[in-house]
Amino acid sequence: MRLYWATWGILLLVTLLMVWADGAALPRTALVAIMLAAMLAKASFIGANFMHLRHESPWIAATVVVGLLGTGAVLYALIAPDAVRIHAMMGAR
Amino acid sequence: MTEAAAPAVDRWSGGTCPFGAGWRKVMMWWFIVTDGLLFAGFLASYGYSRILAFDWPDQSQVFSLRDIAAMTFVLISSSATMASAVLAAREGHRQAALRFVLLTAAGGAVFLGMQAGEWTHLIREGARLSANPWGEAAFGAYFFLLTGFHGTHVLTGAIILLVTAIRLAGGRATPEGVEMAGLYWHFVDLVWVFIFTLFYLL
Repeated sequence: MRLYWATWGILLLVTLLMVWADGAALPRTALVAIMLAAMLAKASFIGANFMHLRHESPWIAATVVVGLLGTGAVLYALIAPDAVRIHAMMGAR
Repeated sequence: MTEAAAPAVDRWSGGTCPFGAGWRKVMMWWFIVTDGLLFAGFLASYGYSRILAFDWPDQSQVFSLRDIAAMTFVLISSSATMASAVLAAREGHRQAALRFVLLTAAGGAVFLGMQAGEWTHLIREGARLSANPWGEAAFGAYFFLLTGFHGTHVLTGAIILLVTAIRLAGGRATPEGVEMAGLYWHFVDLVWVFIFTLFYLL
């Protein structure tokens, strides 16, 4: 049970870090990098410790990571360039 | 046959689960992946619209980050109580498991109340599915869609937890059943981690 409450504390700290970063007037690139890293760190802690993924078969962990994160990343990567292009075209008009 | 090859053949030749877990757990994980893909689609679509938009509202002008952070705190804490409930159930401490499950359900109810307060505030300010007073019209649609779908999952989770609590109180719940409820609840928390970051902060 100590592991769960230690994880809770870490998640809380990371959340506070994210809130601080949001109000800290950081350059956009740095802000995005910090937020994405913190988001993935929180997701990893929840998955590994709360959902016990660290104790499950690697096949389950791989299905979850590739199925969710991998697919989500591919989804975004496939459509984001179009959005950037269309945004640039509309801005040029 | 070598020693390394023998376990691989046993795992896939039937009679056992190749993923090393019971069918309930495997199917719950499959459900989590498919439901997570629903949110992945929403978030990818949101990212697309966000890049397209010229006038996306500044979230700090629309939301109280303190309130959103408090909602995040409530959900994270409810995940910790849920994990404690699963452990207590596994160790045979039924009363402790029941207390933690009820605490988790209470956390979910508090989160939903805060979400309802946020919706009320935004609707009173003029936010609708097709328009809002702060900028890009799609902002309102994505807000209500993302938080609405997530809130529905939280409500469903709270109902599942109440049913689990009733079964625990009656001595009918199994540790595996509590664990399945826990997996769903942690998934709900996991989705909020992504929504909180991608919609409210970035």
